[in-house]
Order: sequence, then structure tokens, then C-alpha cells
Amino acid sequence: MNARTSGPPPIEVRGLRKVFRQTTTGQAVVAIDRLDLTIQPKEVIAIVGQTGCGKSTFFDLMIGLDAPTEGYIHIGGKSPFADFDSFRGKIATVFQQDRLLPWRSALDNAKLPLELMGLPEDEQRERALTWLTRLGLSQFTNAYPHELSGGMRQRVAIARAFAVEPDILLADEAFGHLDEVTAAELRETFLQLARERGSTAILITHQLEEAIAVGDRIAVFGKSAKLLADIHVGRWDVNDYGMLREAIQATLQAQKADPRLAQDMTGR
Amino acid sequence: MSIEEHAKSVPVLSFPRQTLVSLLVFAVAWETLSHLSPYLGIPPFAVPSLVKIAQSVTTITPIDVAVTLARVIGALVVSFALGLVLAMAMYRSERLDNYLHPMIRILMAVPVVSWILFAVLWFPGVEFRIGFVLVVVCGPVFLIDTLDAMRAVPRELRHMIQSFRPTAPQFFVKLMLPAIVPTIFTSWKVNISLAIRVVTIAELVGAVTGIGHQLSVAQELFSVSDVFAWTVVLVALLFLLEAVVARIEARVLRWRP
Repeated sequence: MNARTSGPPPIEVRGLRKVFRQTTTGQAVVAIDRLDLTIQPKEVIAIVGQTGCGKSTFFDLMIGLDAPTEGYIHIGGKSPFADFDSFRGKIATVFQQDRLLPWRSALDNAKLPLELMGLPEDEQRERALTWLTRLGLSQFTNAYPHELSGGMRQRVAIARAFAVEPDILLADEAFGHLDEVTAAELRETFLQLARERGSTAILITHQLEEAIAVGDRIAVFGKSAKLLADIHVGRWDVNDYGMLREAIQATLQAQKADPRLAQDMTGR
Repeated sequence: MSIEEHAKSVPVLSFPRQTLVSLLVFAVAWETLSHLSPYLGIPPFAVPSLVKIAQSVTTITPIDVAVTLARVIGALVVSFALGLVLAMAMYRSERLDNYLHPMIRILMAVPVVSWILFAVLWFPGVEFRIGFVLVVVCGPVFLIDTLDAMRAVPRELRHMIQSFRPTAPQFFVKLMLPAIVPTIFTSWKVNISLAIRVVTIAELVGAVTGIGHQLSVAQELFSVSDVFAWTVVLVALLFLLEAVVARIEARVLRWRP
């Protein structure tokens, strides 16, 4: 694995707005309404919110697959959409479903982004094998996706993302569809690897336990990705995590910050 | 499943008992009809016996089979290449798609016989005429099948690969082409059958070689057994080509569960 020479860049989201127009009615739907968020280098941030709150739209904008209607996302001063190609090998994603290519073996799936980066064949193979081995798949490198369990496939997807050795890791409900034991194990591995790599990690989830377990920070999104609370988990005592969970739940239900989170809304 | 096991499971390559029985029943019925034809008011030459057909098969000229086979394969390769390139261009450009799609639908609606007549009127060379007819009939089928398959590639997979920021050629080579391979094989099987039928009709007009030409000669000589013999060869040729494609398909798509 390559040693990182410089840390990941900060991420700045300012006045971010995304409006879709419904194809049938022509009606405008505001998916994200003027979001401001700063993510520090090497930070692990969990974004929680109810279904339809704009989390996945935010995810697509972060990857650069879609353009904001207004405002911007800047990663190290560059837009992931406008400067799309300059982020090759810098951002990697783990999706809700594994999204492996069925015609490729586990090894070839893990190699895919490295092929796109144009790395030498030896390096592609070495990196992909290293990450598959770290994720406990050394015996299954030649297996096709249909020959693997759901958990194993998701491990391949994680290996594919880590093989990029990216500055920024994005995970969209990446462990939500797995059984609790496998999900907890993979979450732990994901976090450990991200910290070891020194990558900035953004996890989108609807599971509060997951958000509290992995995040340095938790951004609580309300409707249209309104930032209801920006929680620094480190400020909370582990014994108060139960209360934190209840406070986040209350915030989501009321669509406004629960008084127990007042310390996390300073300046808002 | 190993490749060999998979190959065995392909219907074209296997010869199950039911197939043998149905062929045997057909042969017995044919032979019976051949013997009874004089009593049924059918001219004896119209339903030749299997022995007579077999004798005609032994007189088949391999060069004509080879010429037809070469025409079919050559035209299919050109049709596939053109169809694939145009489908890729139409997938990338909605404007091009809007312009070309109506034209392709019109091309597909024109009867084969019309194409043959156009070819005779427009082009002096026999080979070019046959090639033109085959390409204009098979090309659009390849194009539409390929384009539909590209559009059916799941959005999730397209997003996944785009998130890793491929170049445009990488997007096609790493995702789109492998994803549409199963459809390409299906399209080849459909087009082989189509091309075999079309080439025969095209060769009837003006060609001095090929199975279609030999069928025309047999018809002029009122040799029904020869017509049957050449028809048997055509059917065998179709099965052979389908079997070859099925074998390649089993090998290439071995990743399928």
C-alpha cells in the first residue's frame, strides 16, 4: 500500500440547493435546500435522516454524478462535478448494494477502479489482492459474485473502494441490508481501514446506532436536507449514547433540534 | 457447472431421444406419403423418396455451400460491426438517436424482396448486391438489439462505474460491452437464421454460385429431390452455425449462474 504524502482536502458545502422537476407533472421538488456543511480532513461523518430527506441526492452530488442547482461543493477548492476527472483515484464509494459486475471474479471486481486509473497490471493485481486478503477473501479471489454470500460480496465492494486508496470514502447505506452481526463486523472493518488510511469518510445511514458507532460527527438531515443538528460525538460521554440516540430520534420526529442537542447547534 | 456441462445443456448441441423420435416419425410419414402419392393424385416427382433425396445430397457441390457460407458470415460480421458502432453512437447522442431511429424503423419495414429488386436496379456487381441485401436486413436488427441492451444496463451499475470516473472508451469497454454480450449472442442466433433465408432468396436473382442459385437450377430442371437436398443442406448449415455460436456463448458466458 502506498503511504499518503499529503492529507485529504477539506470539504466545503455552501448554499447547496438541488431542485428536480417531476417528469409527469412538471412540478419542482426541492431535494436539498441551501445546505452548509464543512467536513474536516480525516473526519468520519455520518449523515442520518429519514427516507426522502435528500441524503442520496447529497451523495450523488458529492460523487459528482449530478450538478447542484445552486451553491457548491468544494473538495480542496475543486468541484467534484465540474472538475470530474481530477478526482479520479481520489474518491471511492461503497453503495447500498454491492454493485459488483457479474461477469468479473472477485479479484477483477476489486481491480476495476485501478484499471480505470491506468495503473500497471502488476500493481492492480497486488493492490486488489492485498485488500481482498485484508477483508478475509483470499480464498475467494476467483469466485464470481453469484458464488459469494451477500456479506462476502459487500466485502469485495469495500475492497474495491479501499484498493483505490482514496482521500475520500463515501458509503451510502452500505451495511443496511446485511444481518446485524455481519453489518457490525464490516462497519468496524470499514472504520478501522478508513482511520488507518487517514481518509475522510462520509457514511449515509438511517440507522442511528450505526451513526453513533462510527461517526466523529453526525449530521442530522431534516426535510430537503435541512441541517437539524451537527453533533460532535466525542463531546458525548459513552454512557450518554442512549440519550443521544433518543435526542436524534426526537429531532427527526419534530424536524427541529431537540434541546438535549443544544450544545451541538452553537452558532446556528 | 463446467463449460463442458454447460455446452451439453445447450439444446442445439444435444440430441435427445424425443428429437430422434420426432425425426423418425417424420421420415416414416414422408416415405409413406412418397409411396402413396400416385394413389392420392400427387405427381410422384413432387414427393421424392428419402433414398432419392439422399442420392441428391451426395451430388451437392461443396463450393456452392462454401460460397453461401462465406456470404452469410461476411455479411453478418459487417452488419454486426456497423450495428454496434451506430448503437454506441446513438446511445451517446440523443440527437443522433432521434434522427436515425425513424429511418431504421423504415428500413426494417421494407420487405426483403423490395431490397433485392433495389439491389438489382442500383448495383451491377452480384456480390455487392447480395452483401447489400444481407447487411440492410441484418444490420438494423443488430443495431436495435444492441441499443436496447445498452439502455437496459442497470442504472446502479452505470453509477457505480461512473463514480470511479472512467473515460468514455473505458465506460464502453469495461461496462457496456460486457453487459450486452448475452444480448449480442441472442442477436447473432436470430440473424444467422434470418441471413440463411435471405441469402437464398438473394442468390436466386442473378447469382451464378451458391445454394440459392443451385435451388434455382433444380427448379428449372424440375428436380424436386435436388430442391429437397439443397434445403436439407441449408437447414444443416443453419444448425451448424447456431451450434458454433452456442458453443462460443457457453464459453464466453461461463460466469452466468
